Amino acid sequence: MVVVLRPKRAFKLPVEAECITPDSFAGKSVDEIGKLKVWEGNRERSLNELFSVEGEIGAKPEEVMVKIFGDVHKVRRIGTQMSAGEIVVHGDVGFHLGEEMVGGKILVDGNAGSWLGSMMKGGVIEVKGDAGDYVGSAYRGSSTRGMSGGTIVIHGDAGNELGYYMRKGIIKVHGNVGQFTGVHMKNGIVVVYGNSEGRSGAEMTGGKIVVCGSVPSVLPTFTVEAVKSRVKINGEKLAGPFYLFKGDIAEEGEGKLYISKASNAHLKSYENLV
Amino acid sequence: MPIISNVTCPVCGSLCDDIEILVENNKVVKVKNACGLGESKFLNYNGHRLRKPLIRKNGELVEASIKEAIRRSAEILADAAYPILYGWSNTSCEAIRVGLELAEEIGGVIDNTSTVCHGPSVLSIQDVGYSTCTLGQIRHRADLVIYWGSNPWSAHPRHIERYTAFTQGRFQASIWYRYLAHLSAYRARRRLLRALKLSSVREAPTIEAEAGLPPTLFRKERKMIVVDVRRTRTADIADYFLQVEPNKDYEVLEALRALIRDEEIDMDTVAGVPVETLEELADVMIGCKFGVLFFGVGLTMSMGKLRNIDTAICMVRDLNRYTKFIIMPMRGHFNVTGSNVVSTWQTGYPYAVDFSHGYPRYNPGETSVVDILARGESDASLIVASDPVAHFPKAAVENLVRNPVIVIDPEPTPTTLMADVVFPSSFVGIETEGTAYRMDHVPLPLKKIVEPPSGCLSDMEILQRILAEVRKIKRETAEVA
Repeated sequence: MVVVLRPKRAFKLPVEAECITPDSFAGKSVDEIGKLKVWEGNRERSLNELFSVEGEIGAKPEEVMVKIFGDVHKVRRIGTQMSAGEIVVHGDVGFHLGEEMVGGKILVDGNAGSWLGSMMKGGVIEVKGDAGDYVGSAYRGSSTRGMSGGTIVIHGDAGNELGYYMRKGIIKVHGNVGQFTGVHMKNGIVVVYGNSEGRSGAEMTGGKIVVCGSVPSVLPTFTVEAVKSRVKINGEKLAGPFYLFKGDIAEEGEGKLYISKASNAHLKSYENLV
Repeated sequence: MPIISNVTCPVCGSLCDDIEILVENNKVVKVKNACGLGESKFLNYNGHRLRKPLIRKNGELVEASIKEAIRRSAEILADAAYPILYGWSNTSCEAIRVGLELAEEIGGVIDNTSTVCHGPSVLSIQDVGYSTCTLGQIRHRADLVIYWGSNPWSAHPRHIERYTAFTQGRFQASIWYRYLAHLSAYRARRRLLRALKLSSVREAPTIEAEAGLPPTLFRKERKMIVVDVRRTRTADIADYFLQVEPNKDYEVLEALRALIRDEEIDMDTVAGVPVETLEELADVMIGCKFGVLFFGVGLTMSMGKLRNIDTAICMVRDLNRYTKFIIMPMRGHFNVTGSNVVSTWQTGYPYAVDFSHGYPRYNPGETSVVDILARGESDASLIVASDPVAHFPKAAVENLVRNPVIVIDPEPTPTTLMADVVFPSSFVGIETEGTAYRMDHVPLPLKKIVEPPSGCLSDMEILQRILAEVRKIKRETAEVA
């Protein structure tokens, strides 16, 4: 059963809509959903002042599918703590999409803002466009609460500090990523099919990062271990060859960093050390 | 003629509190003990300043009464749906406290200038903690002083003289004589090279930098190391200057951390520095009795930002396995530490505090003023003792001046020229008393040494009056409703 939300106008101020989740919509009528509270700047408004709401609503979160048409790139915290159901955004979406998400599925046609799937515990997020910084990350100062489960797939590019303090789960980026991918990572898997701007795996203590494209350099605190012909990620085989680095030795880390050999001719000197 | 002693200098984060000032006819005529920056502020502050409140009418800034300006500002702020309140680092803690109250009242975002200087340090401290102490302890005990990405000789001119290498501590002697010898040798060498270059057709011989560290670093006396991307004035007087490639500080710090932990590094050079040099540097750091790492904006605002500080703090943490080592940011404005401290004790967060939901929220990047302006989300702004028009990125400034801007500042700045309401305020620490925090979080009193010109209220008083007016407007609208 599908609920359709359409923004009534273009937003200038940030809109905080934590209520747009299958969990809070389940079992409510269209009118009741329209009365849910959202913040626009420092004014509290009801959802139907900003969005037109129509459709049928399921009784349980699993039965609810929320479809958002239009540009909602100023709308933050959609899908916060959702546990089931589905959210589909046809357009760009703002910060904190699916934060602390436990289950269910979020699909974005356009681009997503920063802090996508931050502190995520489970579920699936798929973004067809680009994502901002801090994908699947912990919050400021909440270093023990990084992403602890679930899957994030980004078909475009992602920004800096992806998977910051990540503990479990998998992030796949089909485009390029910025710096500090998997910084302070404790466990989990990050796969980058494109290029990285470097400093991948900084201060990681565990987990796995695979970069299939080029990197400007590898941090001095990673030691080369071997050249592997392929990498297995949850059953998927990535054809190499890959340099396997271990680190970050500054943190006595046991993290694994796989860097494509074919795209990184400048790392050839590492082969003498294997 | 009254000589006022023990005046605190309201210029940089060192907050020297031993300034003596001679006042004649409500005018500062002589300043003793201050550095060039402090002396010129005390002597020249009154030359070029705002004296009357201004309001923009039909596109022109015209003089107005203080009452009119307060009413206009309160209307702008009470009406705004996402106002920003920015600045605060050049005013007293008392004014900042009122500012926070105002931010809560109008549901705005209050941010101070650390958002564009040491904000990344704060973020890293929240991630990994940090070990620090007061400058007095450094003065008496530190035997290894490292300045990383900061140039105190030019930016905090009395920092070295008062707190670190040139000061006579109880347990560590000043070593200024070594610097004099060092400096004259350095100058002689430069003169010689220049003479060679001018006199001969052949190219002057370049003296190859030696890979190892100079023997002075292995003495028991106090020593000073400077790490920077270019040779600064501070580097000239240091025992050792380590030049790293721009934007590669992170790699150097990481490599040092690994070496401190006795790990092997695969590479031969890191950021243009041979690993052998870094090994020796790690030895010096482990071997000191009390080390201190001061870092500046060269580290916080180069590539890596908060991660640079993160790893620097972790390096200091690792060093504490072997010796006593502490880390301290070189704060710029005289009360930027105070604005963090006041904001933390009032709201729980040091900067970029968003009151739009009625309670404080914090997420730099989302609630920091530069980012809000770059995204064009705010609809009004109050700027106190700061000049964002001159210093923010172009896109942010465009969005700032598109909406109403209220400025409280003693001096005319590019921001006051673009403002809609301008309040001339008095200079904190010269015409108004207050409290400011030194870079090591020690609160110091700021003195009133002369009377302000008539019509110039203090920042705190202006803010209190705006706050009262905002509350009045809110009461009126509530009654109408």
